[in-house]
Amino acid sequence: MKEIDIPIEASVGQSRTNPLARVFDELVRFCRSRSMFMLHYCTGCGAIELPPAMTSRFDMERLGIQPMVTPRQADILLITGYVSIKTLKRVILTYEQMGSPKYVIGICSCTVNGGMYWQSYATAKQLDQYLPVDLYIAGCMPRPEAVLEGMRKLMDRIRSDEADGWKDYYRRYDWYLGNQQHLFGDDWQTPADVIGEASHYDLAGPGTEGEHTRLLQQCQKPLEPQQTFFQIGGSLEKKGEFHE
Amino acid sequence: MRPENYQAISHPPSNEYELNFGPNHPGIEGNYALKVKLHGDVVVAARADGGYLHRGFEKLMEGRLWIQNIALVPRICVPDPVPMEVCYSMAVETLNDMEVPERAQWLRVLQLELSRIAAHLFTFGGHAATTGMYTTMYWGVADRDLILDLFEEWTGGRVYHIYNIPGGVRRDIPEGFLDRVSHTMDYIESRLPDYDNLFFTNQVFVDRAKDTGPMNQQQALEWGVTGPNLRATGLAFDVRRDDPYLVYDQIDFEIPTEAPGDAWARTLVRRQELMQSIHIVRQIVEKLPSVGGPVRTPIPNPLAWNVPAGETYTRVESSKGELGYYVVSDGSDKPYRVHIRGPSSMHAVRVLEQLSLGARLEDVAQIMFSLDACPPEVDR
Ligand code: SF4
Repeated sequence: MKEIDIPIEASVGQSRTNPLARVFDELVRFCRSRSMFMLHYCTGCGAIELPPAMTSRFDMERLGIQPMVTPRQADILLITGYVSIKTLKRVILTYEQMGSPKYVIGICSCTVNGGMYWQSYATAKQLDQYLPVDLYIAGCMPRPEAVLEGMRKLMDRIRSDEADGWKDYYRRYDWYLGNQQHLFGDDWQTPADVIGEASHYDLAGPGTEGEHTRLLQQCQKPLEPQQTFFQIGGSLEKKGEFHE
Repeated sequence: MRPENYQAISHPPSNEYELNFGPNHPGIEGNYALKVKLHGDVVVAARADGGYLHRGFEKLMEGRLWIQNIALVPRICVPDPVPMEVCYSMAVETLNDMEVPERAQWLRVLQLELSRIAAHLFTFGGHAATTGMYTTMYWGVADRDLILDLFEEWTGGRVYHIYNIPGGVRRDIPEGFLDRVSHTMDYIESRLPDYDNLFFTNQVFVDRAKDTGPMNQQQALEWGVTGPNLRATGLAFDVRRDDPYLVYDQIDFEIPTEAPGDAWARTLVRRQELMQSIHIVRQIVEKLPSVGGPVRTPIPNPLAWNVPAGETYTRVESSKGELGYYVVSDGSDKPYRVHIRGPSSMHAVRVLEQLSLGARLEDVAQIMFSLDACPPEVDR
């Protein structure tokens, strides 16, 4: 396959000295903050306040925020409430599928410290141990106004280039991966090649690789087609008839 | 995944394949998943895959005081939280042999019915969205917000109220509140013809929902179906009438039924129930000023409140079906065991799997919404 040179995000690495480039960066960030797609994945009970926030009464769209159904086109990952361990795996998979720059918002107290379910055996308590969270909106559950205010804060932070949680994930991948392995077991792996992405974005640092990434490489198995789940379950027609 | 890491995996050519439907899918209701096996686009096998929202409620409740659990229970079913509070409070009251003042009972019924209206409006919106009619979703959510405003003025919370406690309710209604309730009811009733035009009699909806996911009465009884889904098969069973709790025996209301038992019938039953709930709320608004007295029976120090040993089962009719609490006390300050009989755990697992068979993939979401299943309550 031919190597395609994907332009690296402008302000990465060294600070720019060319004033024209800086103006351009600012313009890019302004535009980015005004048109964001938010992933439509309702993880917990805080999700019930999202329909009012999205529809006619509070209307997120006037801020330029729209729900998007696939992770690959989304900019914002909303974690709306408690994440059980089973969900957290899917959330991490989803996060790693999203294209950079990407932002994570933790809505609800449950993502901050476990909230109501601090003693539950099934939930992950602190979200920022597993994913880089750019913004928390606390409350049980936060009102739609609070959600909108949080979105405005995120827009401001994007414009001033402070929302850089996604860079942190590349720079300290080893730490995040260590926490994930602690929760899911040593053989935890995702299809994404985070270290490769980090060096691609020029963001690989001393924290990118470490003992946990070495463990990952030891336990890594090649991806295989998933086993079919249904052993039984009849077909409506006999096989082959469909083609005739 | 980066492009250079992608290796194409070759499959044998087949017109049968498996898909994961959810949990991150715009058509699924909440954080829930189905594994489906398809032949073309017809489902030939389906398996529900829940557990994404599991928090271990029944275990958590054993570790908290009787009064602390009041804050926990509404989280079990997010779109319709009030029946959870009422049902749990009723269980604790039964164990304590406690009387609830009459005014508190009327207030509870008012709250239950407002919550039912809000939940049904939300369901219409969701169901309409799965058939491509997003306007109804916008309307439903906006009209539901009017009821949430009432709740906010009344209890301080939009979605979770933590208002019903063992012994009664936390406080009385604010001044002039009943006028605002009847005003909102008038408004919602005046909107219903618009909903009819846009959604319930819309040919797009009728064509897609009729004969989708049908079940007959016998199947429904075997599968443990309750609530509007059971009434859509022609059986008029409603806990409010057949095992009256609170003051439902003094209220006049009908139990709407439909015969066909498909997605269309289930939604129409809800549409008529909405009218009945408005009718009930109007009766309460008329009756409430003449019922005086306290709104709460005082309970002993809640931090050291030992409930007498015993066990009980209480049930209420939530907007999804019969909701029951089986509570066991061993005489200590915490429950010994709580079991929740949620309607959605029947509807979203076994019934959804069965009704999806033979349906087309694009109708699976519609079947789920027409069953009005509530994933947080399935997983608990
Ligand atoms: S903070 Fe409250 S509303 Fe939010 S997920 Fe937790 S329990 Fe639910």
